[in-house]
This record gives sequence, structure tokens and C-alpha cells, in this order.
Amino acid sequence: MQNVRETISEVVQAVLPVTLIVILLQFTIIWLPMEDFLQFIVGVVFVSAGLIFFLLGVHIGLLPIGELIGSALPRMGKVWLIVLISFILGFVVTVAEPDVRVLANYVDSVSDGEVNRNLLIYTVALGLAIFVGLAVLRIIFDIPIKYLLTGGYLLIFTLAFFVPEQFISISFDAGGVTTGPLAVPFILAYGIGVAAVLGGRKSSDSGFGLVALASIGPVLAVLILGIIYG
Amino acid sequence: MNVTVFNGITSVIMEVVFALIPLVLFFLIAQVFFLRLPWKKVTDIIKGIFLAFIGLTLFLQGVHVGFEPAGTMMGEVLGSMDNKWILIPIGFVLGFVATIAEPAIRILNHEVDKVSGGYIPQNVLLYTLCIGVGFSIALAMLRLLAGIPIVWLVLPGYVIALIMMQFTSPTFTSVAFDAGGVATGPMTVTFIMAVALGVGEVLPGRDPMIDSFGMIALVALAPIISVLTLGLLYAWKERRND
Repeated sequence: MQNVRETISEVVQAVLPVTLIVILLQFTIIWLPMEDFLQFIVGVVFVSAGLIFFLLGVHIGLLPIGELIGSALPRMGKVWLIVLISFILGFVVTVAEPDVRVLANYVDSVSDGEVNRNLLIYTVALGLAIFVGLAVLRIIFDIPIKYLLTGGYLLIFTLAFFVPEQFISISFDAGGVTTGPLAVPFILAYGIGVAAVLGGRKSSDSGFGLVALASIGPVLAVLILGIIYG
Repeated sequence: MNVTVFNGITSVIMEVVFALIPLVLFFLIAQVFFLRLPWKKVTDIIKGIFLAFIGLTLFLQGVHVGFEPAGTMMGEVLGSMDNKWILIPIGFVLGFVATIAEPAIRILNHEVDKVSGGYIPQNVLLYTLCIGVGFSIALAMLRLLAGIPIVWLVLPGYVIALIMMQFTSPTFTSVAFDAGGVATGPMTVTFIMAVALGVGEVLPGRDPMIDSFGMIALVALAPIISVLTLGLLYAWKERRND
């Protein structure tokens, strides 16, 4: 029950301040017709209620999946199997990530369906999956995160020269939305298991950097999608 | 008065079904082949998945009938005003308040506290982040008004971050780059993004596809640079103490 109350208060705190500012703006400078303004209120109620149920579901059902699979890894032993499982988990979690869906829906409607919602979601998921796999390899081979971050960003800015303008902004945004309410906690919960399997290595900060690497993958993937489109 | 609440809910439900199927399938396969959890644990997980299903449906429905149309309309109003520059301070305020109560920041606070040995007070981190995100959204609005390509802002942003990284400890670097996610809270991606799309629709010579998107990337940069700045201050203090 404690968990329910905490989740409700977290969501209300995250949603309320912006809502109050918008109400203030509505009655000072925006003055939308009342009907349209009420749609905003409907949005506030649905999004808040939705987030509360979703976060509870994540804690009761989804995070345990990550944790349990992570802690089952030691029994497998094989490195390729661990990398493969990390890849699949990265993919299936991104497909369920709310923020990724919202961005993909917006892109779909702004581009009049030219950039298909599902295509974008699967591209982002594939990019994230590959980089979660790489992040696990990084821990195994003890590669400093500096090199991977610098290399990743260099690659991003090189590719950006060859991508049609319409794809550049959404590529960079794709890196920001994978850090929504599901993927990051899930990967961190799973990462604890991975760190336990690969323990013994000097990896005080090996769990760290997973999130950063995971947001490079989607940017690269959408840039490549843009090159294919263009 | 004609307020829509459940318009298009069936397609939202279908979307959510397809969003959750891969995760459920993977769990079932893992359960059969190697997890072999007791039945009690499996029913708990199924309950959780059901809650997530309800939650994701309500959330996406709220964005679909609420934030997307209302946010876009508000953006259109703001973008057609005589004093369009007002978008810049409004962006700052929205970014600031979207971050001030963000629960994810508490975890980040705790981590920064650990790596700095308590040198950086919690409120300093919080306000640095709020100002950072406020500045990011203000910059996104300025970019939208002036038509600045996103690469011109994101590239220097990451170059600055990579340079700062050379002068802060590796632990601060890890915390900083992992912090990128804390600022993209639920209101930013859904509502504030929709406002930017609306502004992009009405401004002459702007294409929302190019000029409105990119805001989330700028917001994700703010915590990285904020935490690295604090890391530099900390490194400077360490050196002075030696």
C-alpha cells in the first residue's frame, strides 16, 4: 500500500506544476475556447492515472522480469548467450516504452504517415538493443566508457552530414525518449544481474554508463533509417 | 459542449497489445526454458503486466485526445501572437517547473552526493538542473523562432560536454551521462513537445518536422552539462585543498 501512495504522489508532483502554469497561461494570454481547454484537463487526468497504473505495473511485473532474468544468467555461463539475451531484452523493453510511442506517434502525424510509427519504433528498439549488447561487451572486455562515448558521438556527427534534414531532429530526439519510465529502470535492474555474473572484474562503475550508451544507439539507428529513406 | 474522451480508444488498445506482446512472449519463453518460477510468482508478474497494460492505454489515450490537440492549439495561439519572443520566457518557465518536482532527480541527488562526498548540496543540484532544463526549452523555442538547425546546438553541446569530461573524475562522468534521462519527464515529451509542434505549424517558413523536433535532445543535454559543471567545481575545490 505504501508503494501505491508513493507512486501517486510521485506522479502528481511530476504533473501538477506544469498543469498549474498552463492554467495560468490559459487565463492570461492563451484563451483557448473552453471546449479545447477541457481537452487539456482530460489529458492531465488520463496521463496521470495512466502513469500511476503503469508505474505500479512496472514495479510489480516488469522490473522483476529484468531482475529474475539477470540473476538467472550465472547458470548459463556462455558470454554469447548473455549478450544475446541482453540484446533481446533491450529490444522488447523499448517497444513497450511509453515515451518512445509518444514521439513515434507525433512523428507519424506531423509527417502525415510518411515516417511510419511502427517502423520508427522498431528502428529505435533495434538501435537500443545493439548498444545494450555492446554495453555488456564493454563490461566484459573492460573498455573505458570515455572511448565508447567519444566514438559514438563522432559517428553520430559524421553520419548527420549525410542524412536528409527531416530526419536529423527526430534522430536526436530518439536518443532522449528511450530514457522514459520503463527502459532505464528495467535495464538497471537487469544490469545488476549482469554485473554479478561478470563480477570479479574491477568494475566499480561498470553499471554506470549503460544509460548513456543506450541513448547513442537509437540516434545512430534513426540516422541510418534517414539515409535509407533519402 | 463537446469534450471527447474515448475517441479512437480501440486503436490505442491495439497499439498497447502490440507494445506488450514481445515482452510477454520473451518472459514466457524464458519461464519455460530456464526461469521455471513458482506459479505464485508468475501470477504476480501477470498482475503487473495487466496493470501496465491499463496504465499504458490510459496514458496514450490521454496524449491522443488531450495533450496532442490542446498542446498543439496552444502552440498555434502562441506562435501567431505579435510578441512571439514571449515563447522564450514561457519555455524557460515550463522547463523549470517540469523539473522541479521530477522524482527521478532524487535518485540522481543521491548518486551525486555519493561521488562528491556531500560537497554538493542537494538543492544546488536541483536548481542547477531546473535552470538547465529551463534554458534548454527556452533555447528550443529560440531555435524554432529563428530557424537554427539542431546540429548547430547539439554538436557544440556535446563538444563542450566531452571537453568538460577531460577535467572531471570518471565517476562524475558516468553519473553525468546517465543523468541525461532524468530531465525528460512525462510532461516534456508529451505536452511541451506538442506545444512546440503547434508553434512550428503556424510560423511562416518553419517545418515542425525539422524545427520543432529536437527539443527533447536539447533537454537531455541539460543534466549532462549541469552535472559536469558541478564536477568541475568539485575538482577545483579538491585541487585547492591539496
